[in-house]
Amino acid sequence: MHRTIIQDLEQIVGTTGVLSSAEDLLLYEYDGSVEEAHPDAIVFPRRKQDVVEIVKLANRHELPIVGRGAGTGLSGGALARRGGIVMAFSRMNHILEVDPENQRAVAEPGVVNLDLSRAVEKYGLYFAPDPSSQKSCTIGGNVAENSGGPHTLAYGVTSNHVTGLELVMPDGKVVQLGGRTRETPGYDLTGLMVGSEGTFALLTEISVRLLRLPEDVRTLLAIYDSLEDATDSVVDITARGITPAACEMLDGWTLRAVEAYVHAGFPLDSAAVLLMEVEGVREAVEAQAAEIAEVCLGHHAREVRRARDAGERVLLWKGRKEAFGAIGRVSPSYYVLDGVIPRTKLTPTLRRIEETSQRFGLIIGNIFHAGDGNLHPLILFDHRDADQLHRARAAGAEIMQLCVEMGGTLTGEHGVGMEKNELMPLMFSDADLDLMRKVRAAFNPLGLLNPGKVLPLGKGCGETRLQPFSVSASGEA
Amino acid sequence: MSQVVTSLASRLGDLVGPGRVLVDMPSLAAYGADGRRPSAAVLPGSVAEIAGILRFASAERLAVIPIGGGTHLGIGMPPRRYDIALDLSGMNRILAYEPHDLTLGIEPGITCAGLDRKLRESRQFLPLAPPFAQRATLGGIVAAAADTPLRYGYGTARDFLLGIEFVTGEGIVSKSGSRVVKNVTGYDLHKLFVGSLGTLGVITRLNFRTFPLPPHQKMFVFGFADRSSAFDLCRAIMNSPLHPRLLEVVDPGTADLFAVHGANFLNRDSWFAVVEATGHEAVLERHARDLASMSRQAHAAEFIALEESQRNQLFACLSEFSPIALAAAPAATIFRIAALPSAMPTLLEQIRSLADDHALKCAILIRALSVVYVALLPPADANLFPALIGCSDQVIDLCISSGAAPVIERCPLEIKIALGVWPPPGNDHEISQRLKCVFDPHEILSPGRFRGGL
Repeated sequence: MHRTIIQDLEQIVGTTGVLSSAEDLLLYEYDGSVEEAHPDAIVFPRRKQDVVEIVKLANRHELPIVGRGAGTGLSGGALARRGGIVMAFSRMNHILEVDPENQRAVAEPGVVNLDLSRAVEKYGLYFAPDPSSQKSCTIGGNVAENSGGPHTLAYGVTSNHVTGLELVMPDGKVVQLGGRTRETPGYDLTGLMVGSEGTFALLTEISVRLLRLPEDVRTLLAIYDSLEDATDSVVDITARGITPAACEMLDGWTLRAVEAYVHAGFPLDSAAVLLMEVEGVREAVEAQAAEIAEVCLGHHAREVRRARDAGERVLLWKGRKEAFGAIGRVSPSYYVLDGVIPRTKLTPTLRRIEETSQRFGLIIGNIFHAGDGNLHPLILFDHRDADQLHRARAAGAEIMQLCVEMGGTLTGEHGVGMEKNELMPLMFSDADLDLMRKVRAAFNPLGLLNPGKVLPLGKGCGETRLQPFSVSASGEA
Repeated sequence: MSQVVTSLASRLGDLVGPGRVLVDMPSLAAYGADGRRPSAAVLPGSVAEIAGILRFASAERLAVIPIGGGTHLGIGMPPRRYDIALDLSGMNRILAYEPHDLTLGIEPGITCAGLDRKLRESRQFLPLAPPFAQRATLGGIVAAAADTPLRYGYGTARDFLLGIEFVTGEGIVSKSGSRVVKNVTGYDLHKLFVGSLGTLGVITRLNFRTFPLPPHQKMFVFGFADRSSAFDLCRAIMNSPLHPRLLEVVDPGTADLFAVHGANFLNRDSWFAVVEATGHEAVLERHARDLASMSRQAHAAEFIALEESQRNQLFACLSEFSPIALAAAPAATIFRIAALPSAMPTLLEQIRSLADDHALKCAILIRALSVVYVALLPPADANLFPALIGCSDQVIDLCISSGAAPVIERCPLEIKIALGVWPPPGNDHEISQRLKCVFDPHEILSPGRFRGGL
């Protein structure tokens, strides 16, 4: 990047607000995915006006801009695929307003997810979306990706909790969408904006609703000798009309890797565990916990343990939320997938994933949100071995295709980013994708915001087009 | 019949086959919207036919309004043009229903009541209890963002609509979202369709998350001498561990209307809070206990746990608030006002005082502490329109200055013409205009009904 542009950026945010040396830029070539891309400069706005001025500057020089929170994303959403400026929001990290009476908060995009919940805990409130990375990921990133988490089974994903947004459009104009009330007259632009992966506009303020902390929580761990019994339990729990707040599964390989690191108490000889949580008023929690235990035992669970106190609960959840860290100890690299399938298809899908694992000669662990069918197969590989990386990507593509074939989707909460954009034709026709392109252009006509993400890059250069599963083939849209 | 209409009928007949195009005046009267009648109504039987009709209409620049049960056709501004009524009532199949996955795919023309019967066979339901439920179709409910008394517990259609298939104004079949309960693949275009009044496309399939029927339910009613005590109770519930699925407040004017419709156990001079809890017996007992205690603290004059039949009557009244108000006063002007709970008590006092100033009866329903419905109820006397217009105008100004977002949901045409039904567009209007242009570049879909003249 030309030195004068760096100087212009420094004029806006000060010399401590811009990074451009090769070693500094290296840190921003990655996020939580297996992708990488090289930015030309990193800039740290502190206020809305900084964002406006940076956007205008980028426009003048036709430079791409990529918004970035904590860089914990799992689909390459915060990487500068076409170079340009990475706008890192870590210094716009103020909670602007907490309104306990109306159970609302307004935050800047760089506020860390868990910090928001901690700030409102004294009012008995919390922000419901809880991605595993919630200790470091930001609200802005959550909005961009429409993040989920284990407890979204009962409380919904980010879009169910965002009521309004303030945006800086790609031309520098500041626009307000929605508000603090849960509905506003007009098109639901807030709903469209959430999950648009930074390709429409940049966020400067986010209005969210807060939920009341539950009176009681019960955490159960069901231990199985067979994976099928675990998946059958999940289907049966739903069939009985029970909606746990969370319902997570770890297969045998994964729970052993996690146990070695976290010591959560997962039995090493089991084939699967289900980690479930019920929340609410005391009486409801007791009844549901008893019912869940009955279902699991009916499906041959070896044992159903209940966390006896907050310490045990935290430990069990540590086994879930720090699982990816545990995998990092046993494999130089891993590739996390995020497909969703109808929960009744869990058993055949896991069987097919096991076949894929054997065929590609790679270990694939499974740790996932079983309650809503959101799989997270973890493909282990060594990134120093080009052949292994190639096989990991190919196995990943095959599993994602499998999810769509089962009637599901490519991604449940990690986003499309630059990881899955070329797989979009598995789900969407050319007409669908053309319409999405036009919608993106309605916000971002020059394509300078987060280019190369979400949508396939084009049909040129002999690129192979994937066939969508058509309405006629599956009998369903 | 004019030559133009004959030719239109014949062109549409080529697209859908004979017998599914209506051009006679008595039939077309049923498709009227704000005094306008279409030149033809067409009843497509498939997505391909709808696409064909819209390609034709787009090429000929003919304005099309998609219609289900016709129960929400009066919402929004009068259409600028109206040539073809696209009657979707025949597209009423359940396309996929997997009770164990809690997912459902349907055509848009199925009625809410019909679908509810089907889902109950599997002990499931959709938490939509819109007005006119016997006739309202799911496509129409979504397009009109029809509200439900169950929103406190379950949210609105926006929260459990998983995806849609639709046809754009150019006749292109497209889709958004998915059929599974969690998905972030691609842009959530279907969010735009909720409440879009048929201005972006014709919905041809809706995918929903379904919900298990609760094992038991119990409705409780609290009577109060004044408004502020009713809100004290609501605040106490909001700040308690209880999570009822229904929380509504009705004023004496609404209690009066409901009493005529079977809920005669409501004392007509009181404000009422209505709460419904669900769950196992122990959960309901806990609610009864805690609510009784809250009722004492909020100085409730009465606290009743309703019998099943009373519950059903009151639930029907709550969901049918608008039809009940319109039955009482055909010229009723009904506002849907999104507001924060803390703003509601003062806003209501001021609105009631405005109604008094204009000698208008008024009925108020507060839904889920999210939306206030205000019905101004003029007697059947056209001379009263100036008072109705004056009062409505002041209500709109008051709401906007209080930070609330008002829409006039139902009113006589005279009010629409005098005041408009939408608040002035915000600084996001340019984005809405561009999106309208993407989905419907020739402005043939329900032109002019939406906010900002879209």
